Amino acid sequence: MSNVNISKLKEIVGEANVIDSSSEMAKYLKGPGKPAVVVLPGKTSEVSSIVKLANEQNVKLAVGGAVVNTQGITGGIAMVMSRMNQIVEMDKLNLVAIVEPGLLHKDFILKVAETGLNFPPEPYEVETSSVGGCFSIGDSDSKSFEYGPTRTFLLGFEMVLPTGEILEIGNKCIKNVSGLDFIHFAVGSQGTFGIFTKLLVKLLPQPEAKKAVIGTFASLHKANATFNTLIKRNVHPTRMNLINASFAKIAKPGTEGQLVIIDLQGFKESGKNIANEVASVLTLAGGFDVKIIEDAVEYDEVINGWLKVRAELNAKPERTVEFVVGPMKMPQALAQLEALTGDLGAYPGIIVEGLLGYVGLALPEGTEKLALATKVNKLAMSLGGNVKGLLGHKLKAEVYNDAEMWKQTTSLLNELRQQFDPKGILSPGVSLEA
Amino acid sequence: MLSQTVVKRLKEIVGEKNVVTDKVGLLTYGYDGTLLSGEALGVVSPTTTDQVVEIVKLMNEHDIKLVPRGAGTNESGGTIPSQEAIVISFTKMTKIHEIDTENFVAVVEPGVINFDLQVELAKQNFYFPPDPSSFKASTIGGNLGECSGGPKCFKYGVTRDYMLGLEVVLPNGKVIQTGGRNFQSEPGYDLTRIIVGSEGILGLVTKVFVRILPIPRAKKTMLALYDKVEDASQTVADIVAAGIIPTTLELMDNLLINTTEDFTHAGLPRDAGAVLIIEVDGYPEDMDEQVKTIGEIASKIAKEFKVAQTAVEVDQIWTSRRSAFGSVARVRPSYGVNDITVPRSNFPKAIGGVLKVAKDFGVTIGVVAHAGDGNLHPLILFDQRNKEETETVHKAEQALCMMALDLEGTISGEHGIGLVKKKYLDKEFTPAAMEAFRKIKRSFDPTNRFNPGKIIDL
Ligand SMILES: Cc1cc2nc3c(=O)[nH]c(=O)nc-3n(C[C@H](O)[C@H](O)[C@H](O)COP(=O)(O)OP(=O)(O)OC[C@H]3O[C@@H](n4cnc5c(N)ncnc54)[C@H](O)[C@@H]3O)c2cc1C
Ligand SMILES: Cc1cc2nc3c(=O)[nH]c(=O)nc-3n(C[C@H](O)[C@H](O)[C@H](O)COP(=O)(O)OP(=O)(O)OC[C@H]3O[C@@H](n4cnc5c(N)ncnc54)[C@H](O)[C@@H]3O)c2cc1C
Repeated sequence: MSNVNISKLKEIVGEANVIDSSSEMAKYLKGPGKPAVVVLPGKTSEVSSIVKLANEQNVKLAVGGAVVNTQGITGGIAMVMSRMNQIVEMDKLNLVAIVEPGLLHKDFILKVAETGLNFPPEPYEVETSSVGGCFSIGDSDSKSFEYGPTRTFLLGFEMVLPTGEILEIGNKCIKNVSGLDFIHFAVGSQGTFGIFTKLLVKLLPQPEAKKAVIGTFASLHKANATFNTLIKRNVHPTRMNLINASFAKIAKPGTEGQLVIIDLQGFKESGKNIANEVASVLTLAGGFDVKIIEDAVEYDEVINGWLKVRAELNAKPERTVEFVVGPMKMPQALAQLEALTGDLGAYPGIIVEGLLGYVGLALPEGTEKLALATKVNKLAMSLGGNVKGLLGHKLKAEVYNDAEMWKQTTSLLNELRQQFDPKGILSPGVSLEA
Repeated sequence: MLSQTVVKRLKEIVGEKNVVTDKVGLLTYGYDGTLLSGEALGVVSPTTTDQVVEIVKLMNEHDIKLVPRGAGTNESGGTIPSQEAIVISFTKMTKIHEIDTENFVAVVEPGVINFDLQVELAKQNFYFPPDPSSFKASTIGGNLGECSGGPKCFKYGVTRDYMLGLEVVLPNGKVIQTGGRNFQSEPGYDLTRIIVGSEGILGLVTKVFVRILPIPRAKKTMLALYDKVEDASQTVADIVAAGIIPTTLELMDNLLINTTEDFTHAGLPRDAGAVLIIEVDGYPEDMDEQVKTIGEIASKIAKEFKVAQTAVEVDQIWTSRRSAFGSVARVRPSYGVNDITVPRSNFPKAIGGVLKVAKDFGVTIGVVAHAGDGNLHPLILFDQRNKEETETVHKAEQALCMMALDLEGTISGEHGIGLVKKKYLDKEFTPAAMEAFRKIKRSFDPTNRFNPGKIIDL
């Protein structure tokens, strides 16, 4: 039985914005849990009232942009932010925007581009990811070498805390060290410190020119070897990515082989020269169909193909092993990985973000993720890296044989969470134990 | 006073020569870049993480607090032992463990001087972008403690953006590692980010993984001279509006032009109202067009615009800028450094505001600014021995802070809060935000052992 006071919710957001029939709820939900109700707030004060209500009744609540992950909120409230989707302000002079969290990430990128500006972070799920979710996950992506990870683009926010209180912080200054840096600490907190209700986002001018160089390779390892060549030549593109043959078919239908995508965002003059340099490196290394892409439509197609593959991996974290090594160690990493897994071609897919030394490996159904991740982490550590994120930390501590450190880390994380959310109301599906 | 037992134990932990308890010795560690001072119970300089752990545990047993310290150049009172505490000085942890240019990482101890790291990196044609003007003296630990800026932030960001991971000794004496050697290693929460800029109140940093970059292939340094400082501020706004991201946009007013000239004889015209130092970097083939655009924008207002032709010229320009703080000491015995920051579009208004404060309070203010970041350092010149004048200066500083907040800015862009600006913090932050800071402090340091009294009280 659920304690959710549906009629009270209706009072807060209006009848039309509370949905409690399971057939209608379905399109807002994903994951294993069965929340009692979906609620769509229209403004900050409503978000606050809903969270206060959840506290009073000790009901769990999770939030999403268009779709909510229901993990941990059976009998609880799923809060969908899609009605809060306005750009409150686009300030070209200061290169910032104030935006509501429910705006879809892809729509935000378009709106920003229309004003001649640039919001670099990649959407996580192309179709459903929201701006609030982007900062809530707070990842890095294949453009981070040049632009910095997602957190770089947050200057402030309004947030409803797990107690329902409203917190505002930050300003339009690009340098700000006042107080403790809760602004950037909140990035990546996955809805555990609070619900973003407004974001003050840093933007950049659009690059003068965008180009891509693509090429196809028969061998994954040969394709990857070109990245070391480029780094040694002191060429640091915006993206330097590799998609294996099976995923390449999703990214660019008709591709036969491993697809290399080099994205060059910058100035016209250098862009031309670097594109030529990259094209010759790819060709010399045995790449075929090497092509410099200047046409805007074709360029977008290539990039969107990349994002589609990325989303494919992002959607199945339980069936993906992600790790990072020193970028120049990638050839060894792939060789050693293959020694562990056997022919990588037999896997559903693999991608490499060359500038970051990142590998995402999609696992076949039935693979023991933890067992593989443990081995992969050892491999990665010997090459100056580790498995990504919280899981990586746990595995690293295991390798150091330092249970104490892991214990200390998790107890600090849990203490922080508890300080902000004493009743454990928000985002219960998010685990800080790995 | 520390008991003999504690002193003895400290000496056992770090060695005789790394413990200071004599009056004169303590005095030297009682100062920083501000005009404040205090006296520590003792100063201890560990050389390893294990020693740091031992010290923290010992202090916990005896209920003694700790004030971490790098080079002590901060401008916020962050290293002043304002309460009964020992100072833990990191100046003997100066190892550069590793420079890995192939993978864009360096691993250093916190006491490494920023400049020393730059020198080692330069040998391999790399650099560490954060370079506060104090970089010849300040430490990486101090840089991260304050989340320091510098002249390159416009394009390259601040210290926060170059910290990949940390080894941290917590107030309970336990060691954790945050982040790692890349962007994707944070354990659930971005602990690295909350330590950066926390001024030593959350943890003692004993190892730092920093991101390093290849030195850009080309760089152009330009100089624009103006009759009035307001004119210079207009060029700044125009450059930003044109969508150009220079590496650097530094401003000095007439007073600073003259004091730095006394010092460096770089050849800046003493009658100029203001000078802007503008730098762009990147690929050689992109330089000409950017220089041309900037030249066109600046020349609309500037009385002179020139592009430095030789490395010597570039050096001279930077020597002037870097000596700015120190140089004013010849005019009056004391100066107060402010660190207000406003949204870039409000920069001309902030310049106006500074001029007004100088007039309203009858004080002499020189302005040096990281103009592209909207970050101003109005230097108020005075004589600390004159009580009345000192009072007026404090009032003027408060007025500057309030002016910045009125212009939707912040009281600190890069120097931190420490003791000096703590009293204005609740003017900038709402009670909910102040409480969020306390929640964070409480999670790390429930009994307020590390750098007590800095930034916030529990
Ligand atoms: C650590 C992690 C674990 C994952 N586990 C799973 C899984 O088990 N099953 C699965 O199918 N997918 C999982 N994913 C993938 C994830 O569900 C989606 O791919 C991803 O969240 C982006 O798509 P979205 O539509 O949910 O985006 P969004 O709706 O934008 O949400 C992204 C994240 O941000 C949070 N969020 C959204 N809006 C706000 C806001 N305003 N304030 C605060 N937080 C907000 C959401 O709770 C969610 O965690 C996981 C992702 C991560 C990073
Ligand atoms: C002439 C001059 C020019 C300056 N120019 C700039 C500039 O351009 N940009 C700028 O941002 N700042 C500037 N500053 C301010 C100052 O130099 C910086 O804040 C610098 O980073 C401080 O480094 P430090 O080693 O002196 O640190 P300290 O002053 O010793 O310490 C700074 C803070 O960090 C803490 N801390 C130190 N080491 C550790 C550690 N290992 N673990 C945990 N906490 C620690 C301290 O407790 C303190 O709160 C300038 C100062 C001067 C005097």
